[in-house]
Amino acid sequence: MSTATFQDPSRTRRVRGGSAARGPVGAAPLERSRRRMFWAFTAPAVIVYAVLFLLPVGYAAWTSLYKWDGISDKQWKGLGNYKTLWQDPIFRTSLGNTLQTLVVGGLITFVISFALMLVLREMNRRLFARSVLFFPCLVNAMVFGIAAGVLFSPDGPVNQALKWLGWSRPPQWLATEHLQTMILGTLVWTATGYYTAILMAAVDQIPDYLYEAAELDGANAFQRFRHVTLPMCWDVISVCAVLWTVSSVKIFELILMYGGSSGSQPPTGSWNTALYVYEEAFPQASTPQLGLATAAALVSLFLVILFTVVLRRIMRRDPVEY
Amino acid sequence: MRPRRKAPSLPMRIATGAVWVVVAADIALVGWILLTSLRDGSDILRHPFGVPVHPKGANYGKVFADGGFGRAAVNSVIVAVLSSVLAVVIAAPCAYALARRRNRVSGAMSMTFAMGLGVPGQVMVIPLFIGLAHADLDDSQPGLILAYLGLAMPFTVYLLTGFFSGIPAVLEEAAVLDGASMVRTFTKVILPVARGGLITAFLLQFISAWNETLFAIVLTHSQDKVTLPVALSSFVNEAQLNGLDWGAMFAGVCVVLAPMIALFSWLGTRIIQGMTVGIGK
Repeated sequence: MSTATFQDPSRTRRVRGGSAARGPVGAAPLERSRRRMFWAFTAPAVIVYAVLFLLPVGYAAWTSLYKWDGISDKQWKGLGNYKTLWQDPIFRTSLGNTLQTLVVGGLITFVISFALMLVLREMNRRLFARSVLFFPCLVNAMVFGIAAGVLFSPDGPVNQALKWLGWSRPPQWLATEHLQTMILGTLVWTATGYYTAILMAAVDQIPDYLYEAAELDGANAFQRFRHVTLPMCWDVISVCAVLWTVSSVKIFELILMYGGSSGSQPPTGSWNTALYVYEEAFPQASTPQLGLATAAALVSLFLVILFTVVLRRIMRRDPVEY
Repeated sequence: MRPRRKAPSLPMRIATGAVWVVVAADIALVGWILLTSLRDGSDILRHPFGVPVHPKGANYGKVFADGGFGRAAVNSVIVAVLSSVLAVVIAAPCAYALARRRNRVSGAMSMTFAMGLGVPGQVMVIPLFIGLAHADLDDSQPGLILAYLGLAMPFTVYLLTGFFSGIPAVLEEAAVLDGASMVRTFTKVILPVARGGLITAFLLQFISAWNETLFAIVLTHSQDKVTLPVALSSFVNEAQLNGLDWGAMFAGVCVVLAPMIALFSWLGTRIIQGMTVGIGK
């Protein structure tokens, strides 16, 4: 796409087959003014992004190499913080939880989202159903964490309903060892609506004639799904996988407030890396360990990069044209 | 709409039923939260499914008076509105330039913005805390607004670039032939056409700023500076010390939740489209 405003004149020249290597008279100043305009338009966003986003990321990488409490001088530690992290059982648990959320939570979310999408497509009033399922992802996850605290409390609604159904010894939902599973479940429930909506938007763009052609060729419902639906929305699925990676790594408030009655800090068994960063950098009782905390944050960034690269690799296919 | 081929099969009917059960459960959950916020605390644990017999606003009075939710709500509105407006105002010209000028520089720039989408917030939170403290902007609304502005850049630029690319270039060509300058073309011709995209970008940014918790907790702590998620979390933490009042806690939850319900029932389609359509491109 090209326009008169930001157009690259060299392209125009090439199209015209112009033999003049320097272009028509007057093109150079025009091109200069266009380039100036380009920078004038982009400069504010670039500056804001550089100062408030890229610079902090760089500063985090640098701080992660020091031991620092935020007040006294920094002490060089090199990669020592990363080593400390690796030896810290709490960090290992946090990393394990993060990975579990990313991989297990991701798989469950995708299977459910895909199934929901397939069912919703054939339903009446599907837009209404989609809206209701979508809504939870617009709400601060804290809300559901607190609500779960009441819903799953020992005498809470869920247990009373189960008792009424004849299950008198329900599990202790909010016990520390179940917390991570409960958080995962809540997360999957809030996220599926969002991914279902993305998949629906993608599948809606598949032209009907492909299905008709497949049907004429004698493909049954499963074959149509396998050979039309799946390949046609493969790109969107791979983007969704990356989206999930990023969003699952930065989950914070859901864990912080889950159950609503966990005291001033949630039990370490339910932490993920984001919570680890927060608790190490801004602890209630001990000295802040900013170097260690930023190192933990960097680990979560590496995790995102690693998964993004690997996912892109695995899921790359030749683009389908339609 | 695709023509109905045949009557739905039995598995499909069961699946459809299951979906409606989930939909009903979602609505029931939100309804239950809203109703419970009107009930007496001790009553809730005895009859969790009860209806407020004497609906009382006392819970809301309590969170607004003791929890500082009134001030926090005002702060949330100020921070969310200002940071989103600024984000759109700053990102729009950049996105337009990136959408129209396709060369190596703009490609690298778009790529750099897109990479920001992959950085989790916890990486920036400590550096921003330190940086804002150095600039005397810690525990202040301008500080929080700046933090949100930076966080908003990657997504807003990405979203709007996609949007501007979809606007036909013929429009500007006509304006340029009429002798309009580039700035004039952008403000008088492009922006009016792009209004829908700008509103979507604003809305999505507003929603994420409204719900944002990590930066708000780290960057603000005074009673008159905190936003709603911070007020809610400290209210819940204090409630643990003074004995839990579920009614008041749910009233606090509703103050965070209700604006999203209102916004979604009003502009739901636009929000869903903004969050889903650009994804595959």
